[in-house]
Amino acid sequence: MVVEKKNSARVEAGQRRVLDDATRQRRLSRQLEALEKDNFQDDPLSSLPAPGPTARLPAFSETEEPEKKKRKTRGDHFKLRFRKNFTALLEEENLADKPEPNYLSALAPPSSLPPRHFCCVCGFPSNYTCTTCGGRYCCVKCLITHRETRCLKWTL
Amino acid sequence: MATLVLDNGAYTAKIGYSSDQVSVIPNCQFRSKTSRMKTFTANQLDEIKDPSALFYILPFQKGYLVNWDVQRKVWDHLFGKEMFKVDFAESSIVISEPYFNFTSIQESMNEILFEEYRFQSALRINAGSLSARGYFRSEPYQLCCLLVDSGFSFTHIAPYCRGSRMKDGIRRINVGGKLLTNHLKEIISYRQLHVMDETHVINQVKEDVCFVSQDFYKDMAVAQLKGHDNTVMRDYVLPDFSAIKKGFCKPADQVVLSGKYKTGEQILRLANERFAVPEMLFHPSDIGIQEMGIPEAIVDSVQSLSEDMQPHMYGNIILTGGNVLFPGFRERLEAELRSLVPAHIPVKVTLPNNPITYAWEGGKLLANDPDYEEMVVTRDDYEENGHFVCEEKFDI
Ligand SMILES: [Zn+2]
Ligand SMILES: [Zn+2]
Repeated sequence: MVVEKKNSARVEAGQRRVLDDATRQRRLSRQLEALEKDNFQDDPLSSLPAPGPTARLPAFSETEEPEKKKRKTRGDHFKLRFRKNFTALLEEENLADKPEPNYLSALAPPSSLPPRHFCCVCGFPSNYTCTTCGGRYCCVKCLITHRETRCLKWTL
Repeated sequence: MATLVLDNGAYTAKIGYSSDQVSVIPNCQFRSKTSRMKTFTANQLDEIKDPSALFYILPFQKGYLVNWDVQRKVWDHLFGKEMFKVDFAESSIVISEPYFNFTSIQESMNEILFEEYRFQSALRINAGSLSARGYFRSEPYQLCCLLVDSGFSFTHIAPYCRGSRMKDGIRRINVGGKLLTNHLKEIISYRQLHVMDETHVINQVKEDVCFVSQDFYKDMAVAQLKGHDNTVMRDYVLPDFSAIKKGFCKPADQVVLSGKYKTGEQILRLANERFAVPEMLFHPSDIGIQEMGIPEAIVDSVQSLSEDMQPHMYGNIILTGGNVLFPGFRERLEAELRSLVPAHIPVKVTLPNNPITYAWEGGKLLANDPDYEEMVVTRDDYEENGHFVCEEKFDI
């Protein structure tokens, strides 16, 4: 996060920074990745005292990237070094070299409809874009909330 | 010889003998903050008295089986003496897999079914192919059908013609029930109450209050109105798992417009969330997923097929999976397709009585087919010829 801020946010004539496209894109991918998570809280078992010698750590399906760790989500736990996750399996399939149709080619292409915009605070249709982060808002009230909460300090 | 039919979903397993009824059982494990040492498997969920902050351990990732330890614990439980009491040496299994399942997962599947559990025989097949079988059985004069299977991990569009899967026409949209629930959690947490840890509770909220809008911008306008004019707004009473076991919507005559209830229950006030969440199935780009929504993807799929097939597809669209149960889903899809498809081509979208168990019912038909024995791979076959014979015989 620290690196991100240093490199990609330049200070405008005023005091507000402007996030560049790459940062906006990274932020979006992080939001979308979060929507794939199985849990956000800690495993109840991991908050117990250390297990005795016979206790084995149970299998766990989520793999947390270090990037997520840095953020303040609490959903972080033991990893399994030996288990192949989805990404590893997908790589192993080597689909770029395999005939279509396959898992990759079956993905629905981008929509040809114009994008629709919604206020990132209240969810209603929005007409305005935050100059700092590119987030959308619908009114001054929502813009203020947005700047105070997520604009440059996205935590969720 | 008994045949067990298992539609092995990423969220629920649909399971039962081919001579019997289906059961829908969580295909995962859970841990609860109230009994932290214990891991609950599948339907042991019912033993957890306070499922707030329920922790999920899922065998699937993005719709594909990756965590075999968890899957085997669930299967041990399902096949074992507490549930289906499978006599493996005398049993056959029909088991479903996702489209384009990875080779290594398919091989692990063979190994576990034949070497670990030692089923007498097995038939591995796409869940959609089971649904198509069910459809062609109930509509024997139809040549084609187009499945829309919208489940926990993703949504597939899959055309079938005379019983065969049209592989080139399969489309996947990476929007499923898990993403919808997580998105609902996220917006509720930002707007009113921190519920990020409450997947189980908010999933129920989603099932209780969400619907598919028939006129999106009109509903947006209504959801913005004040007072009684806002007919979209609902106050949802969250469960506390002591006095209130299950959440519910406040009846209209008990809604306090100010939101200040004296009863002390925890309330979520939901308005545009009710239909903006399922809307992602129709417009994934609303949250930045650059993929077509279901109606557009259906047209994209059908246009990849030969022209003579196309009208038969639009006239035989069948909905499966949990997300199609949102009120209004069928009507909205049919209306949108009607506007996208040339007027002379009939469009018909069918919602079966139980879209969640539709594939299982197709599997039951398959297991009772007189030719069933010829479609399976026996353990002897597998022991002699290995993965090769499965690859030859199963159409995954
Ligand atoms: Zn707003
Ligand atoms: Zn901003």
